[in-house]
Amino acid sequence: MTLVHNWHLGRRMEYPYFESRPKRQFAAVFNINRCIACQTCTMACKSAWTYNKGQEHMWWNNVETKPYGGYPQSWDVKTLKLIDNGENTWYTDEKDEKLSPYGVYEGDTIFEAAAKKNLNQWAVGYIPEDKEWRSPNFGEDVAKSNKPDEHSSLPEHSRWFFYIQRLCNHCTYPGCLAACPRKAIYKRKEDGIVLIDQKRCRGYRKCVEQCPYKKPMFRGLTRVSEKCIACYPRIEGRDPITKGRPMETRCMAACVGQIRLQGFLDDNPKNPVTWLIKHDKLALPLYPQFGTEPNIYYIPPRWAPRSYLRQMFGPGVDEAIDKFMVPSRERLAVMSLFRMTQSIIFEYKIEEGPKVFETMIHGKKFEMYNDTVIGYGEDGQEIVRTTIEEPVHIRDPKHYNSI
Amino acid sequence: MIKGFSLFKLCGVTLLGSVFLSMALFAAEETAPGVKGMSEEEFTPTKEVLTVKYVQMDKPYHMDVESLKGAFKDAGAVKVTLQKQDKAFPNGGGSVSGAEVKAIHDGLTVYFQITWNDPTKNARAIAVQEFRDAVALMFPLGSVEITPAEHFSPRMGDREKPVNLWHWKADWEADLLVKGELEDVEAQYPNMHDDFNLNPYSAYYHRELITSVEVLSGGRAANNLLSQPGRGRTVEDLNAEGFGTLTTQEHQDVNGCSHYEEGAWTVIIYRSLITDDPHDVQFVPGGNSYFNMAVWNGGEQDRNGQKNISSQWHPITLERVAWQ
Ligand code: SF4
Ligand code: SF4
Repeated sequence: MTLVHNWHLGRRMEYPYFESRPKRQFAAVFNINRCIACQTCTMACKSAWTYNKGQEHMWWNNVETKPYGGYPQSWDVKTLKLIDNGENTWYTDEKDEKLSPYGVYEGDTIFEAAAKKNLNQWAVGYIPEDKEWRSPNFGEDVAKSNKPDEHSSLPEHSRWFFYIQRLCNHCTYPGCLAACPRKAIYKRKEDGIVLIDQKRCRGYRKCVEQCPYKKPMFRGLTRVSEKCIACYPRIEGRDPITKGRPMETRCMAACVGQIRLQGFLDDNPKNPVTWLIKHDKLALPLYPQFGTEPNIYYIPPRWAPRSYLRQMFGPGVDEAIDKFMVPSRERLAVMSLFRMTQSIIFEYKIEEGPKVFETMIHGKKFEMYNDTVIGYGEDGQEIVRTTIEEPVHIRDPKHYNSI
Repeated sequence: MIKGFSLFKLCGVTLLGSVFLSMALFAAEETAPGVKGMSEEEFTPTKEVLTVKYVQMDKPYHMDVESLKGAFKDAGAVKVTLQKQDKAFPNGGGSVSGAEVKAIHDGLTVYFQITWNDPTKNARAIAVQEFRDAVALMFPLGSVEITPAEHFSPRMGDREKPVNLWHWKADWEADLLVKGELEDVEAQYPNMHDDFNLNPYSAYYHRELITSVEVLSGGRAANNLLSQPGRGRTVEDLNAEGFGTLTTQEHQDVNGCSHYEEGAWTVIIYRSLITDDPHDVQFVPGGNSYFNMAVWNGGEQDRNGQKNISSQWHPITLERVAWQ
């Protein structure tokens, strides 16, 4: 094992390979608060990549209801149990803006737990059986209620559920890649996308076993494993629609709830995803304690119990929800870019506009300005321009009854 | 960890130093990450020699265990002790403790018969949790002399000393028996729904959908032999030059047959003595070679390095043919 730095955990951790970050990392921000579980993303992926024979059980993108839903069933609870050493806590008194923005994780990662348990493999894990993959909608819209007689009110509902949108996290330290004894899994230097080489794979299912997010899937027809490919032809700009510009994946572009913004995590503070993730810390990684440094980031749902959310997204939850509830001027502008274009935005600029609204939210003052936010593509060209206030069109009365 | 963290802040340099030190120690025990070094004993071939008996025989019309069994009657058996694979990550195996190997040749073809006990027959690997039973023979490439002084890794060879492997798979044998020579997902899930109506007269027939199977089946499109229908064989011909390097050959020359009864597998693997593939081991009557082997117990989720191995090479001598 070597020691690598995992900024989600705020510390170094053991990993079988040296730290080697891509030039820019495939990443996305999902605003859980807005998802309506319409599954359009799920079908967009299915109809592109997994409609084929032997892939009947495969949903590279899926949306599950928490706390009861899970595809495969109970994947997260089962993996959390495997790394549980009774002290999976966080030390949050000291933080470093760059190296440990959420504090320091004191528990074991999937890699450390395997070493401690002397498993003689790289990470802990398990293979979900076929019946566990069979019902991706299991538990959908089922609420959890601790106090049945109580009505729900913010900030935390006593009766709650929320949707979690999942795909392969194209992790910085992938469990799947570490697990593969044949090095059939590789992470691309140019964009950090993690792929399974279909020629080298021999169907050992070590990746199915050791990906904590359970995103590699075995295909009985070809006897090898497959996983989300991040729609890489689109990322490479090979779809004619965006004229050579990097394009967002099928699941991102199809999102009806406009909850998704895709981009590349890089060092540019004016890159919208980089800003939301690293600078504003509004969006948080899913189960950072697994230790793979996943690259899909979530704005946590404001109504769910905080203890549950802290376990799921780490100690940054409270700050992120506070920020989301009373958004700053810049945050509101960046959040307006969600789903405004399917070309990937590399940089944004805000042109200030007049103040249009003011109120108090949970005792805090909120002011809204009708700023214009502009998104630029890889080539520096403007690809999108929008305002905070959406334009309103009033229908001519003569069309009231027409379709 | 709290202590560790503040300690790191205080004396990061010392800590960093000890990290390098422990990594150096680590390297001494491990030849590569997750790979432990081998003992001298493992570089010494066993004393017992497998004699490949010369037998005059007519090639049976059906190459099955029943028709080939008689030819092995007078061949001497070598007992191979098997153990858990404990050198390269992931470690595993240990459920099969031994196997018996016999070998014959008729001047044209060499046959190896391997028998071992396995209480469960696992001849399908379609469901995610299912793994196949399998056995592999391994031979050094080229003519080599293996001695403790002349190291030749009995575990997958190494970069300078590659090996040829013959890997029999129980599911490949099952594939041979069905239409199209590949058990489809319906074999495992007979009542599943799918959109692929293969009857061109049906109202649901969709040609584009059906032709897309090949393109959108990664393994098939990439020409992975494991994914191909109609392989026409039960044994895969491979090369390796160390852990994790197993590679399917372009040219497949080996075949085999099997029989499972009363908790025991009998597998016969055969190939012509000589081939024109430079990546193949060649057998000359009157000549010598070595073999090593591994058995996978699908019922115990064995696959790849999780297997029952023999940790030493076993010498082979081929009898001369009668007219030599
Ligand atoms: S398309 Fe968007 S809103 Fe609909 S389920 Fe997917 S993520 Fe949620
Ligand atoms: S989410 Fe799983 S499959 Fe995807 S990169 Fe991470 S470990 Fe690999």
